Amino acid sequence: MHSLSRRLLVTVSVPLALFFGVMMAVLDNGFRELTDRSLQQLLDSQMVALIAAAEPQPDGKYAPESNDLAARLRTPRSGLYAQIVSARNKAVWRSPSSAGAPIDFGRPLAPGSRDFVYSTNGHERIEIESRGIEFEDRTGHVQLTFSVAASLTPYEQQLWAFRRQLFGWFSGLMLVLLAALAGLLRWVLSPVRRMEREIHEVEEGRSEALGAGYPRELSGVATNLNTLLIGERNRVSRYRDTLGNLAHSLKTPLAVMRAALASNNSVSGAVLNPEIDRMSAIIEHQLKRAAASGGALLGQAPVDIGEILTELRSALLKVYAGKDLSIELVVAPGCQFVGDRGDLTELLGNLLDNGCKWCRVVVRLTASVDGSFATRERLSIVVEDDGPGISSEDRIRIGQRGVRADEAVPGHGIGLAMVQDTVEMYGGTLTIGESATLGGARFALRLPGR
Amino acid sequence: MRVLVIEDEIALRDSLKEQLAAAGFTVDVASDGEEGLFAALEFPLDVAIVDLGLPKVSGLEVIRQVRAQRKSYPILILTARDRWQDKVEGLQAGADDYVAKPFHFEEVLARVQALLRRAGGWASPELVCGAVALDTRAQTVKVNGAPVELTTFEYRILEHLMLRAGEVISKTELTERLYDEESERDSNVIEVLVGRLRRKLDPQDTVKPIETLRGRGYRFALARSPTT
Repeated sequence: MHSLSRRLLVTVSVPLALFFGVMMAVLDNGFRELTDRSLQQLLDSQMVALIAAAEPQPDGKYAPESNDLAARLRTPRSGLYAQIVSARNKAVWRSPSSAGAPIDFGRPLAPGSRDFVYSTNGHERIEIESRGIEFEDRTGHVQLTFSVAASLTPYEQQLWAFRRQLFGWFSGLMLVLLAALAGLLRWVLSPVRRMEREIHEVEEGRSEALGAGYPRELSGVATNLNTLLIGERNRVSRYRDTLGNLAHSLKTPLAVMRAALASNNSVSGAVLNPEIDRMSAIIEHQLKRAAASGGALLGQAPVDIGEILTELRSALLKVYAGKDLSIELVVAPGCQFVGDRGDLTELLGNLLDNGCKWCRVVVRLTASVDGSFATRERLSIVVEDDGPGISSEDRIRIGQRGVRADEAVPGHGIGLAMVQDTVEMYGGTLTIGESATLGGARFALRLPGR
Repeated sequence: MRVLVIEDEIALRDSLKEQLAAAGFTVDVASDGEEGLFAALEFPLDVAIVDLGLPKVSGLEVIRQVRAQRKSYPILILTARDRWQDKVEGLQAGADDYVAKPFHFEEVLARVQALLRRAGGWASPELVCGAVALDTRAQTVKVNGAPVELTTFEYRILEHLMLRAGEVISKTELTERLYDEESERDSNVIEVLVGRLRRKLDPQDTVKPIETLRGRGYRFALARSPTT
């Protein structure tokens, strides 16, 4: 259960259902007892009336006068039946209502005893009350067993109707309650959903921070989150500025040292110049790598590739004005890089610069976004040229992790090592191969995009 | 060729000045953005070398203003900040090329010469007009394949005329390219130098490579040969 509202709905609806279940059982039980009692009363009253009305008949039976009989006992299949059995001569009287109904009223009873049994009459269930009675009359000692039977069908029908109604009402009520609860939850949890949406927007770079106006319980979280976001952004940019300044302030003294060595033409120049080269390569590589942000910061807007490429292209055309080359950009519309603008500029700048350096005439960059890839490899950038290409040993060397700047492939310099590092920091991939169409080197990047 | 170096680091500036001068340039220097901007707008320059991290007015701003004033001479950026974002920014502001610090002077010189050639419409470092061939890297001149010895000033004048072969170049312009702002000038020197150049390039006075246009200046008259 990963949803708060579902969790709440389930934990509330289970006790609710339990409560309604118990309520229904109690009510059902009560209703049944009530109907039982009323049936009992019916049987008792009929019994009393029958006993009072029973008179000896010429044929030795005891039977009530037809006029004294309740209407239901006179009507066949009325659902109320009676029988009087005399112990002496086994004479049996049965009410007219039981005509054609083979009801088994049970054995004659000893005087004073009383019995209740359930039985069936065809398809209907009946309840039978029997009493054994002994008394003296003109003929002497008489033992009679009076039985009254009532059909349960109307009661059962009533009971089921009651149950249906009860169930209908209760389930309706429960649905209404749950719906009300769901609505309430929606309303109560709406700030949480809003927070979720806003965080998502920040992640996608569509907004910079969470908005205001959260309820008291959440406003602390929102404020802290904003502080964290802004703090992180500031920290990273301060960090990068510091590293940039460090690189800058180290390079100028190096330039001065080199200039000094060049002007006095001393022997030490031969020793120191390569060292200066090495130091500047280290600064170039390590500080730049540290300054690369290596990942999308929260709240950072995605970068439009086309714009950066246009700028880079015009810059490179200026730098390579002495070379007759063409830089072809094939960028699918709406291609965006999710990450730092500076990092992307650095990546593309290095790759295009490398292409311009080695190409004969054509450098081609193709960029597209393929939604079927994982987010961090969604953006595809391919840079190809028609130059001599890169030998397979060099490809392997460039692809190796942790190749230091000063060990990087000569001629391709630290630019490509830098590209490799940055791509790795973003969790993307760099594949070096041969261009099928142009014949030179082919660098295929996969980077986070959308 | 007259070059302006705007660089705040004294040692670097001095070294650049010394080496550029040794390479045959007339060098002006400025140590901050303000001074540099003034020089960049007022002096008749052929090329400027601008450090991006300058006090008072940033290098980028200097470049922008120079371009806003419709000065079209090439500008080379010197920068310690060599992320592509910085390079793109500099090039978009109007610079033509960049060199990252710490640099080898040879690199700077090569870039500057390439910029000058490109500004004059030359693609290769060897300028060839008819029989006269001038190699800007080696600073040598050959006529019909035979080397001709020139003095520094003679070479500078010839290079300037040849880079802009076909255009009329005034005597003042040539003077300004021989002397930085601190030197004393003498416009008669140009006439003397051009005269010597003519004799060295064309002893028989048959080809007449340098025309004199009275009151306007000089023109290198031989047509540019298509480069291979």
